Amino acid sequence: MKQLFTLALFSLACISAGAQTNCDNAPVVTPGIHNVSFAQGSQAPLLMCFNALPGATALGAWYKYIPDNDYSVTLTTNVGGYPLSDTRLNVYSGSCNNFTCVAGDDDSGGSATSLVHFDVVQGTTYYFAFDNIYSSDDFVFNLTEQEFVPSLFTQRAISLQGTKWCIADMNGDYLDDIVAVEGNSVNLLTQNTNGNGFTPVSYQFPAAQNSPTWSISAGDYDKNGYNDLLFGSSGGASIILASSNNTGFSNVLDSPESIFSQRSNFVDINNDGNLDAFVCHDIAPNVYFQNDGNEGFTYHQGGLGDYGSGGNYGSIWIDYDNDGDIDLFIAKCRGGLNEAGIDELHRNNGDGTFTNVAAEAGLADLHQSWSAAWGDYDNDGDMDIMIGNSAGVYGDNSNLPDSLKQHKLMRNNGDGTFTNITSGSGFDTFTSSNLVHVAHDFDNDGYTDVFCGANTIMHNNGDMTFSPIVITAGSGPIGDLNNDGFLDIQNDNYIYLNSPNGNNWIKINLHGVASNRNGIGARIELYGTGQGWEKQIRDVKSGDGFYYMSTLNTHFGIGTLDAIDRVVIKWPSGTVDTIENPAINSALLVTEGTHVLGTKQLNATAFAVYPNPAKEVLNIKSVVSFDTTKASIYSIDGKLVKSATVQDAAIPVQHLAKGTYIIKVQDKSGKQYSATFIKG
Amino acid sequence: MKQNLLTLILCVVFYSLFSCGDNGNDDYIQIPAGLASPVIMNLDSIPYTKLSHYNFFEGDIKNQQPVQGVLPYDLNSSLFTDYALKKRFVWMPEGTKATYVTDGEVLDFPTGTALIKTFYYDNAYPSGTTDIVETRIMIKKADGWIFANYVWNAEMTEAVLTTNSGSKTIKWYQGDYLRTVNYKIPSQAQCASCHTLNNTFVPIGPKPQNLNKNYTYTDSVNNQLYKWMAIGYLNAVPPNIASTADWTDVSLSLDVRARSYLDINCAHCHTTGGSCSYTPMNLAFNKTNIRSNLGICIEPQDFVSGDEQYIIAGQDAEASLMLSKIRTTDPNEMMPLIGRSLIHREGIALIQEWIDTMDAACP
Repeated sequence: MKQLFTLALFSLACISAGAQTNCDNAPVVTPGIHNVSFAQGSQAPLLMCFNALPGATALGAWYKYIPDNDYSVTLTTNVGGYPLSDTRLNVYSGSCNNFTCVAGDDDSGGSATSLVHFDVVQGTTYYFAFDNIYSSDDFVFNLTEQEFVPSLFTQRAISLQGTKWCIADMNGDYLDDIVAVEGNSVNLLTQNTNGNGFTPVSYQFPAAQNSPTWSISAGDYDKNGYNDLLFGSSGGASIILASSNNTGFSNVLDSPESIFSQRSNFVDINNDGNLDAFVCHDIAPNVYFQNDGNEGFTYHQGGLGDYGSGGNYGSIWIDYDNDGDIDLFIAKCRGGLNEAGIDELHRNNGDGTFTNVAAEAGLADLHQSWSAAWGDYDNDGDMDIMIGNSAGVYGDNSNLPDSLKQHKLMRNNGDGTFTNITSGSGFDTFTSSNLVHVAHDFDNDGYTDVFCGANTIMHNNGDMTFSPIVITAGSGPIGDLNNDGFLDIQNDNYIYLNSPNGNNWIKINLHGVASNRNGIGARIELYGTGQGWEKQIRDVKSGDGFYYMSTLNTHFGIGTLDAIDRVVIKWPSGTVDTIENPAINSALLVTEGTHVLGTKQLNATAFAVYPNPAKEVLNIKSVVSFDTTKASIYSIDGKLVKSATVQDAAIPVQHLAKGTYIIKVQDKSGKQYSATFIKG
Repeated sequence: MKQNLLTLILCVVFYSLFSCGDNGNDDYIQIPAGLASPVIMNLDSIPYTKLSHYNFFEGDIKNQQPVQGVLPYDLNSSLFTDYALKKRFVWMPEGTKATYVTDGEVLDFPTGTALIKTFYYDNAYPSGTTDIVETRIMIKKADGWIFANYVWNAEMTEAVLTTNSGSKTIKWYQGDYLRTVNYKIPSQAQCASCHTLNNTFVPIGPKPQNLNKNYTYTDSVNNQLYKWMAIGYLNAVPPNIASTADWTDVSLSLDVRARSYLDINCAHCHTTGGSCSYTPMNLAFNKTNIRSNLGICIEPQDFVSGDEQYIIAGQDAEASLMLSKIRTTDPNEMMPLIGRSLIHREGIALIQEWIDTMDAACP
């Protein structure tokens, strides 16, 4: 008894006097606030777990922590109500004579204090070692434990030369490949058929005037089955056309004049079935290459963001008003509180013209943004927006109202207007300003998240609030790089593979026929019950966020749902394909016009053709008059095979070869209709 | 760099009073009363299609010999544009003059003013001739400044109005080294992207802080501001002008050289009212006496591709984002974003030495 008491006294003495001076006598700490002072003769940590040199003559203070469970742990020396000191901290595991770095920091806590986050394993011993290289003053640290959340992404190195800004299928198998551009070559890591690893391929392309120094997009411009690339540079833009036989790139289209390119997109602006190439102009009105359908283009400037000195950064094409045609939102930025920084929303009038309706929509803010992430965050059937804040509160910006110095979350009211619901959403307290903001469902829970750069995914909690999840990956292109249905991230020389969490999913791959080959501009609806939503929607797009090109395949997470009622594809041509009960946890390839409902299932205002199969004449059945309008007939591989004038609601088809065709007709208001028929 | 202009103003008075008796190298008979400038400036029909139409130069146009009323000038430090040399001239309509605003703001020029700037390379390959690339002119019309850019023909007998961008391969000897550059000729929109302040087109160089220097005129050496006043191109200016310096002048402090360099190369954008004012810097010379405006120990905003913690990390140029921005030619990384395709080795050396020898490191 006496002996025990002496031992206890001795231990106590150790803690109060000699303790914390080296690893061996480090006292054990538990969550809470702890005092730190540096004792003469103490041992400084020599292994630095961050980019710094140890202080050879410095003193040290040591603590031991043995968690009683797995936790995500935060340790900070910035504790309110206590004096702050210029601290440095290393966190080790292992033993006192054989440390392993866990974390380390100098000044991340602000005011020269230290801040680290790291995950701990139950029963493992961790050492916290401070040194006094910058200050010997006493200070405190606060240790907190949070529930352990497993790391979402696993980092793997890739070997690929060039600018690695693009994930797209480049060999026609709908599996996402990694695209790099190096001089006049496109270097690919093509995904293996089982989703397990990549095969390198490299192709030369003819000399192009521009390289992808500001943005890259992918899409099948010449409709030959292989995706082409669009490069935006500070001097112009170039389209690199892939050959029709998967042997590389055969042709290059350069912009005829200078463009200070920012975000670029492949999108069928005039809805003629051929992708056009849109380029945001930093210092002048926006421009686009209007596809002539014959591997050429007409160059246009005007009508899609005409502010004289530009300010155009993040273009993104979505259908904000659910009218079936694609609209354009432009995230804008400009110093000097200049009107060039006012965001624009260009409503597609359906007749080839666009009108900037940002003011009436409630989006015409002078808000410094390089990109906006569009998604139906509340799954109510229309597209909402997270508009990223890309500038700090400096200079002129400090004169902006508070609501425009932060990220903005705007809910679509369904009537062409938006309401700012930033307050309390989580975006009001996520203050890191970034350039790239993209919307994807990373955890496949059925609610679209926002990847914000700064290594942060803002996880959609399902109630229009978002919580930051810090991940290892920085901004980069996004796609499914191992074909497991969970979206991965690539950033420079690494891929970050998303760890499946048991949630179910489906991905939709499109093969456009009368519409553009990729189905860019299509609205995809997914119906299901039992997860708190009835419908999810996606708009197929080429080029979102800033700089990068992410997969053209459309991913849906469906949580724990084990069946999908149906998937509906509303193509830009007007064709509607409906797939009942598609298989989950797999890719669904939909060729335009192959899942059209029979005429009996259509309502009276819709569009149908008969007889089907047709031999001599194809008749149009619709309440809309198509007399003297033009009809276009496409073969199933997307080739325009016949243009004809509609007379008495009929089109002669006797010269067509036998086979399946899609007919597309435009009414006098410019609205498009299409249907599939068989020539018998 | 404050120069006492009062002395010079007194000189003007003195000369005005006594210059009649001075038949020697009298500098002020360039615009004698009654002798009109032959420059042709019809504001309703500019920009002309050809440079020669303005009649800014006499004799062989490539010699850039200014006519009566076209006054050459220079700046303390100038923008780096791929080592191109520059000749600058100003012309104002007869009977008009510019007005001083502040040391750090462009003079308020009268309608009709032309600012003329010719970009050229000496010691061109192979025979060491002069290769003139372009002459950029800003002309002030009643409703503001316009840009007119003239690209020279190969024979250097004429320069033609060009609104779109272009490029020209230049080979020249820089000392003993043969160098090559794909020189970029800016489009009108590119001109405007730098020459815009508070949403208005403006010149950048002709601020009192930059003009306050001696210039070797054909017959004498004079302070430029004094000269402009003497010939009636400028009203009075204060006796002391807080002035930029020649960044190449090694007799001056690194600090004033670096701040002068940053002003002329960066502050057209990185200042209040500029297109890049949303970044945490204000690099205008009259603002960089405040250290934080230089970005010293200031964290950058998401434009970092390396691991630089500060825009300028005191005593550590390698850890400073500013250095990496001026040392790269990556189009989406480099600063300035346009106007150069080479790196400015001498400018980088200046900024590097300036940062490395700062008084204090960042925490």
